[in-house]
Amino acid sequence: MKLYEKTASELSEMLRSKECSALEIFEDVENRIKSVEDRVGAYITLTPDIAKKRAIEVDESFAKGEKLNVLAGIPIGIKDNISTKGIRTSCASKMLENYVPPFNATVIEKINNAGMVIMGKTNLDEFAMGSSTETSYMHITRNPHDLDRIPGGSSGGSTAAVAAGEAILTLGSDTGGSIRQPAALCGAIGLKPTYGSVSRYGLIAAASSLDQIGPIGRSVKDIAMLQDLISGYDKMDATSKNIEYPNLVDNLTANVKGMKIAVLKEFFGVGVDDSIKESVYKAIKMYEENGAEIKEISLPSTEFAIGAYHIIASAEASSNLARFDGVKYGLRAKEYNDLTDMYEKTRSEGFGDEVKRRIMLGTFVLSSGNYDVYYKKAKNLQKKVSEEFEETFVDFDVIISPTVASTASKIGEDINHPVKMYYNDSCTIAASIAGLPAITLPCGKDGNNLPIGLQLIGNKFSEQTLLNAAYTYENLCGGFNVLSQTL
Amino acid sequence: MINMSIDIKNIAKLSMLRIEDEKVEKFKKDMEAIINMVDRLPNISGELGLNYDNVMTLREDIAVQNKYTRNELLQNAPEVQAGCLVVPKTIE
Amino acid sequence: MKDFEIVVGLEVHAELNTDSKIYCDCKNIFGLEVNTQICPICMGMPGTLPTLNEKVVEYAIKMGHALNCKINSVFKQDRKNYFYPDLPKAYQISQAEVPVCENGYLDVLVNGVEKRIGVTRIHIEEDAGKLIHDESFAGSLVDLNRSGVPLIEIVSEPDMRSSAEAKAYLDTIKSILQYLDISDCKMQEGSIRCDVNVSVRERGSTEFGTRCEMKNVNSFSAAVRGIEYEAKRQIELIQSGGVVEQETRRWDDAKGMSFTMRTKEDAHDYRYFPEPDLLTVIVDEEKIKKLKDEIPELPNAKILRYIRDFGINQIDATLIVENMDKSKLFDDCTALNICTAKNISNWILADISKYMNETGKSILDTPLTAKRLCELIANVEKDIISNSAAKTVMEVIINENKEPEDIIKELGLAQNSDIGFLENLAKDVLDRNEKSVIDYKNGKTNAMGYLIGQCMKESKGKANPNIVKEIVMKLLAN
Ligand SMILES: [Mg+2]
Ligand SMILES: [Zn+2]
Repeated sequence: MKLYEKTASELSEMLRSKECSALEIFEDVENRIKSVEDRVGAYITLTPDIAKKRAIEVDESFAKGEKLNVLAGIPIGIKDNISTKGIRTSCASKMLENYVPPFNATVIEKINNAGMVIMGKTNLDEFAMGSSTETSYMHITRNPHDLDRIPGGSSGGSTAAVAAGEAILTLGSDTGGSIRQPAALCGAIGLKPTYGSVSRYGLIAAASSLDQIGPIGRSVKDIAMLQDLISGYDKMDATSKNIEYPNLVDNLTANVKGMKIAVLKEFFGVGVDDSIKESVYKAIKMYEENGAEIKEISLPSTEFAIGAYHIIASAEASSNLARFDGVKYGLRAKEYNDLTDMYEKTRSEGFGDEVKRRIMLGTFVLSSGNYDVYYKKAKNLQKKVSEEFEETFVDFDVIISPTVASTASKIGEDINHPVKMYYNDSCTIAASIAGLPAITLPCGKDGNNLPIGLQLIGNKFSEQTLLNAAYTYENLCGGFNVLSQTL
Repeated sequence: MINMSIDIKNIAKLSMLRIEDEKVEKFKKDMEAIINMVDRLPNISGELGLNYDNVMTLREDIAVQNKYTRNELLQNAPEVQAGCLVVPKTIE
Repeated sequence: MKDFEIVVGLEVHAELNTDSKIYCDCKNIFGLEVNTQICPICMGMPGTLPTLNEKVVEYAIKMGHALNCKINSVFKQDRKNYFYPDLPKAYQISQAEVPVCENGYLDVLVNGVEKRIGVTRIHIEEDAGKLIHDESFAGSLVDLNRSGVPLIEIVSEPDMRSSAEAKAYLDTIKSILQYLDISDCKMQEGSIRCDVNVSVRERGSTEFGTRCEMKNVNSFSAAVRGIEYEAKRQIELIQSGGVVEQETRRWDDAKGMSFTMRTKEDAHDYRYFPEPDLLTVIVDEEKIKKLKDEIPELPNAKILRYIRDFGINQIDATLIVENMDKSKLFDDCTALNICTAKNISNWILADISKYMNETGKSILDTPLTAKRLCELIANVEKDIISNSAAKTVMEVIINENKEPEDIIKELGLAQNSDIGFLENLAKDVLDRNEKSVIDYKNGKTNAMGYLIGQCMKESKGKANPNIVKEIVMKLLAN
């Protein structure tokens, strides 16, 4: 078994037992990137020199007998909307094609301090707006399980990298499903943590009140390890929650005896592929056979979640993306007559259509006369959804559902149907709008041998319960085969 | 409310964007589909904004001197002169 | 001809003198080299987030207490969206729905009459950067040092009815900010600025006329000129059958005129919404109370007290109160009850003001303590030393750090009030100046002054001038 095929926890042990060096791990992943990247296109920017230097440093530290973080020497890919000092951070947009941040996101500081090896910056839908990674200005990313298909999005580069063996772990960001949906389509594990548990400082915002950075990987334990590293209060992010964050890995247990699992009726409705329903029900059965209490429930307001989500997300995005005006950084149009002309030309050239559509939708819902009709209404619906979930978690530990209604579609199939694509996220959006943690797990394959995703939603800051439920399923399945076998 | 119509050109102007004529209809259609989806949702009353459960910690008033050089901060700027960002003549 | 009434409302922006900026830890400092007091946060780099400076909240609450506001212990912030090169995020973090303070008032004195002006709200927000224009340069330059400097915006009710009332309101706001030590109030550095809303209506009418907002008002005296110009313009417009349009106008102080900047049609649509990067702020009631307890006696109350308790006139009271050091000295002196308040006031406004102006020093940093000043004044009041000798004593106190009594003794400045001695001296002077005596008797009254002067000269300045005057008058009358 090649090193790139191993999980972070396996590699971490091998490093400590001197079975391999960080440099060897780096080289193996680097070779894997060389052999598959031109077909997958997971990365926007590769940083082999920086990665190699870091791997050597880690080996030197090990040689000196220093005590290192459990993730030291593990190769990681970073979604290209997370600011990396000295490394271009493009958001897959023409607007930021040449933008190099002078500072690190808080999560990057943590990753650097832990001695993780950053392999590069991964592809995404432009400014994380989309569910297929097709709106990237740079190039498309292909699903490693079927190169004719999309990897999902917006963290499509990060999930494809994990499924293709081009990274051991990656970071994505999730606003309405942008970690979970592509992870499901690529057969990977992806966690969207509780809003406020991972610092957003340095994450280039799409929708501030919904965005959350989270880990993507090939085992639940790996996810727990990376979440342990990146979570925690950050005084640079006023929305980060100042509480104790218990160590998830240490308390990981594969036991669901007595765990109360709710099956959310609304998420098994029309539009969900039969093969997906079947697979998820099979998983539910496994939980039940192993001591979990299963009950079907209904949360009527979840159907409002999509509408509320699009209003809130686009309103915030329209404001967050206003700063891209050609003055301080990023693209500036070549010729212009005056200030307004410069603004309009710069922004029209710099943004793709999907981004423009969301900016305009956001502008519309906030503009005078519409604020109460749309924005306020959406915020109230959001509150309603959150309250219903809160009530549910009085009686239940986790909620189970499919992650996505259908498996990966062909490249170009849905890109011109934004509304269809917007609906595609319906299972993931509810947890986003309520700020809840949710994880997607591989849950078999469909008739086309495409990965199916199972979603578990937990109560706020109940990552431990959520991961324990996930870990149990992983064990019952005898582990997940995330890596593409066809590349 | 039924079938809200969006004035794309006006919204584009407010957003500092220009939409080509041939794309206006498509933008209009896509955006209206979402708007109309929201219009169908029920109205839930309630006051916004103040969330007593989710409160933030304020920052102590301590200044830190120059963590970045001017060059570092202006290195991404499209046009710089005399240590300043340059924009077309703007006098309101 | 109809009689019109002017209606004025003011929005005052005051920069707070915190150490760091409102949403980042850059230095809040004026006048340094362009773009050197900036960081990724205040230059609006993607991915950066704001963190609210707690001092800003405290200062706003203090100002709220001073202006008798209701303090909102729970509030939030909002985004005000608009594109402009000095606004790096393309939105200003401000407050729309729930400001820190609201529903207050301020009592000001206008020509000796008290007037209450409503304060609608005080909110916190960030300042924008600065645009620099140069004739020789085709574009504009952006300096972001000021970006993120904390501001409070104080919005008044449209309660002012003249430019004088507006001026009194502005002066009072300014002196309160200084008393609370929360703003430097340096007009020339733009640390206090105002937007002026003016409308006119027929006297007696209860409805407001259409208002115009005037921007670029860079001093309080410009506000007075602007209000007068704008009111005149609106009245003339109405009288000639026109209609006032709601608009934003730009005041050009050099030309003494205002010009249309934006009509109602192209008014900004700011698309306010709650700032998602900041959560709700809750300030505990105890802290709010503590901030109230920290507030000193405020200048407007002080002026009224000086008038009421000490019989000082409004102009003098205002002059003393305007300067915190002078008013501290006045308060300390009056508390000692050694000399009259009127004389303390005169000394502070004359010799001490002169000293402070000439040296740029505060009187509080000199050895002239309240007690020494009072003793000095008491010596004059008791006719022990002359006024001009007192000036000398003051100088020596300041320079040599000595007690007034000792100085008077050392320099022999005590006046001679021995009537027998002074009578002899006067008789002698009159005998030697027969011509002046005759002149006086022929109606040249100023000859008396000459004779008194000669007596003083003879005594080497030590004779008590009041007694000499009496004696000379008596002798001349015989
Ligand atoms: Mg303002
Ligand atoms: Zn700063």
